[in-house]
Amino acid sequence: MERTMDTAEMTDTPNIRTRRKKTLVQRFWAWEASGVLVALAVLFTLLAFATDNFLSAYNVSVVMRQAAFVGLVALGQTLVLLVGGIDLSVGAAAGLSSIVGALALTQWGIHPYLVIPFTMAFGFFLGAVNGFFVAGLRLNPFIVTLATWEIFAGLTLVITKGYPIRPLGEQFQIFGKGEILGLPVPVVIFFATAIVLMWMLSQTRFGRNIFAVGGNRDAAILAGIRANRVEFLAFGLAGMLSALAGILFASRMDAGQPSVGEGWLMGAITAAILGGTSLRGGQGSIVGTVLGALLLAVLANGTVLMNVSGFWQRVIVGGVVLVAILVDLLRRRG
Amino acid sequence: MTSQTPVFEARSVSKSFGPVVALTDVSVSLYAGEVHSIIGENGAGKSTLMNLICGKLAPTSGQLYVDGQPVRFGTPKDAQAHGIAIAPQEINLVPNLTVAENIMLGAHAGNVAAIDWRRTRSEAARHLHQVDHTIDPSMRVRELSKAQQQLVQIARAAATEARILIFDEPTATLTYREEETLLAYIETLAQEGRSAFYISHRLDEVRRLSHRITALRDGAHVGELTPEQATREAMVTLMAGRPPKAGAQPIRDITTRETVLEVQGLSRDHEFEDVSFNLRKGEILGVSGLVGSGRTEMAKCIFGATKADKGGLTFRGEKTVFKSPLEAIQAGLIYLPEERKQEGIFPLLSIAENTALPTLERFGGLLHIRNREMIAEVEDLAKRMKAKFNSLTDPITSLSGGNQQKFIIARWLMRDAHVLIMDEPTRGIDVNAKFEIQAVLRKLTEERGLSIIVISSEMEELLDVADRILVMHEGRVKGVVDRAETTQEGLLQLAMT
Repeated sequence: MERTMDTAEMTDTPNIRTRRKKTLVQRFWAWEASGVLVALAVLFTLLAFATDNFLSAYNVSVVMRQAAFVGLVALGQTLVLLVGGIDLSVGAAAGLSSIVGALALTQWGIHPYLVIPFTMAFGFFLGAVNGFFVAGLRLNPFIVTLATWEIFAGLTLVITKGYPIRPLGEQFQIFGKGEILGLPVPVVIFFATAIVLMWMLSQTRFGRNIFAVGGNRDAAILAGIRANRVEFLAFGLAGMLSALAGILFASRMDAGQPSVGEGWLMGAITAAILGGTSLRGGQGSIVGTVLGALLLAVLANGTVLMNVSGFWQRVIVGGVVLVAILVDLLRRRG
Repeated sequence: MTSQTPVFEARSVSKSFGPVVALTDVSVSLYAGEVHSIIGENGAGKSTLMNLICGKLAPTSGQLYVDGQPVRFGTPKDAQAHGIAIAPQEINLVPNLTVAENIMLGAHAGNVAAIDWRRTRSEAARHLHQVDHTIDPSMRVRELSKAQQQLVQIARAAATEARILIFDEPTATLTYREEETLLAYIETLAQEGRSAFYISHRLDEVRRLSHRITALRDGAHVGELTPEQATREAMVTLMAGRPPKAGAQPIRDITTRETVLEVQGLSRDHEFEDVSFNLRKGEILGVSGLVGSGRTEMAKCIFGATKADKGGLTFRGEKTVFKSPLEAIQAGLIYLPEERKQEGIFPLLSIAENTALPTLERFGGLLHIRNREMIAEVEDLAKRMKAKFNSLTDPITSLSGGNQQKFIIARWLMRDAHVLIMDEPTRGIDVNAKFEIQAVLRKLTEERGLSIIVISSEMEELLDVADRILVMHEGRVKGVVDRAETTQEGLLQLAMT
């Protein structure tokens, strides 16, 4: 009996469940960041033809720098989303960190070159506070970070009483205003960070564990992965990257401003989602988030160049997000 | 074998969750090269015991030993360090990762700075090939069928190189051929000197594989059998605490009854082709076939959950195609999915609410739901189906699998259903509850003239309850036979010709 079954299986027409070879186009569409890449390409071409100065060196560097700050925050947000969480406090953490960094520079006499790592460490601490409640005590990340958002933003105002801390000094401005090989320093840092994270997510155990925990927490635990440690570190890294964005922005403004980071939260989540990162965890990519951040910056820039009222910008961004979700829906059904 | 130290031993372990006692004073041991089966009805404490052994839970009292040394597991990782791995019953994989990565999850080859992908993949493939030859390790787990996922899960447990493996209901979703490969693999493991705890409701497997069999009932150890002592009757008696009830429903003649549903040439690309059959009033039609035979896909299509490419239905004398499940339900054709937990119940709601949910509008007062009426009606149905429960306002999750299933059936009896399609109605349900459900189905066909289609991969079940059996293979109908005129071998042969 057993033998008959085996031979029958082998000589029959191929099983309907076996996998068909995918064409290049199908594989492109199966990639979660394909939508944002197409959107970026279309918009890019459109603006290149419709305006005179979109491709000018100056404008390109403006766009990239704009993408860099929100982009760094979005990279951290991507890690948290991948692990199945969400961090609403990233913008406020960027603000508080930049203020603490500015104080370290002006009041505590920390060397300008050490201010960046110091601020990042402080940012990691802020993220770790979130991580402690979410990963350690298993509280809902939305609620925890809603609370810490308020706390971080409030502390910023307590410390500054609403006034900027300035000036930060000539030597420190190089991080925000300097250039390396013609690219603004924040842009270089943004791309470098993205490359390190891409490596981390695809080639290290910690990176793969992020996908495992976000994709199926129980399975990860049963496989011997310390899920709460992975979650804790993801939140810590998100805080750290927010702080990096915050202090770079302070360097560029030559001031620790209490308002730094306002509006970065939505930008960060939007960039990640445009790039194909799932809010349910376990799915997404760094490349997607980088492209998402670039798309947002190009959109903002494009509205200015096309003389569209700045008030319309948010309407357009919202519309683009909806279109992106629809495209993603079609892609998954396709 | 008995002279040596057991590789694993649990002495007098107990586990309670708050006031609920799940396990009382249970002792089991496992020797090198031994397959030790744990049998028991649902809720007997098998899974709790296995969770203690694999480190997912900690015992309330009692002590675990590995190689005679006392051990304490805080997490599954601690148990793994002692060479214990589990292939759990529920599919527990990361859907977006590849098969290879799932197998090597948490154990990628390489160092802290970088994973050695080539070695990771080749090791995964090696482990996978021990249990299956058809799955491509580079596919994503979400693209696999349930049975294939189960096999990947087993390969993962094997990949840990553990000395002690726990198989919790590994064959529940598997087909005959896959099951053969798996059982042979477990036999090889034992010959190599590795050991296994084996849990299954399929008693013939238990008898074939085991060196020892321990029965649990209501969280307590109720007996140990050698394979020679383990007749089907002996095992069921130990598990249930009473001898088994009679199996098969009597054969009856239904040929003269009118047709209620006729399916004509139904086809759907890559799923099934040219499916035609008819269902009579008050009939139970069994659908037999391997995973991938298109049986579930066909049922979902009839129900309107997917769109047919070709063909149609005649339902109660009217030619039609259901465009949505809602249309089918309103017409009185109901489909009960295989995944009870995912698609069938609302875990936060009470038994009564779960049962009355699709018919709530009947109990709608001006401003509120007439709870008392609703509960009275659910209670009446529950009694007729002999369901066991404490209070209908308890959450549905407080019930055993068999009883949950009864209330899900009751759900559709609260409105005028004519045809019920049930996908694997007794999967993961213990022997006696299985017979009870079969009896309930039979009773419904007789008392209410309900027609039922039962999809099952257990041929025994179909041969117990169905009037006729339709055999599907690779998306096609291979034939329809009367139960009285066929056997398991007959059904298999039909599938293969």
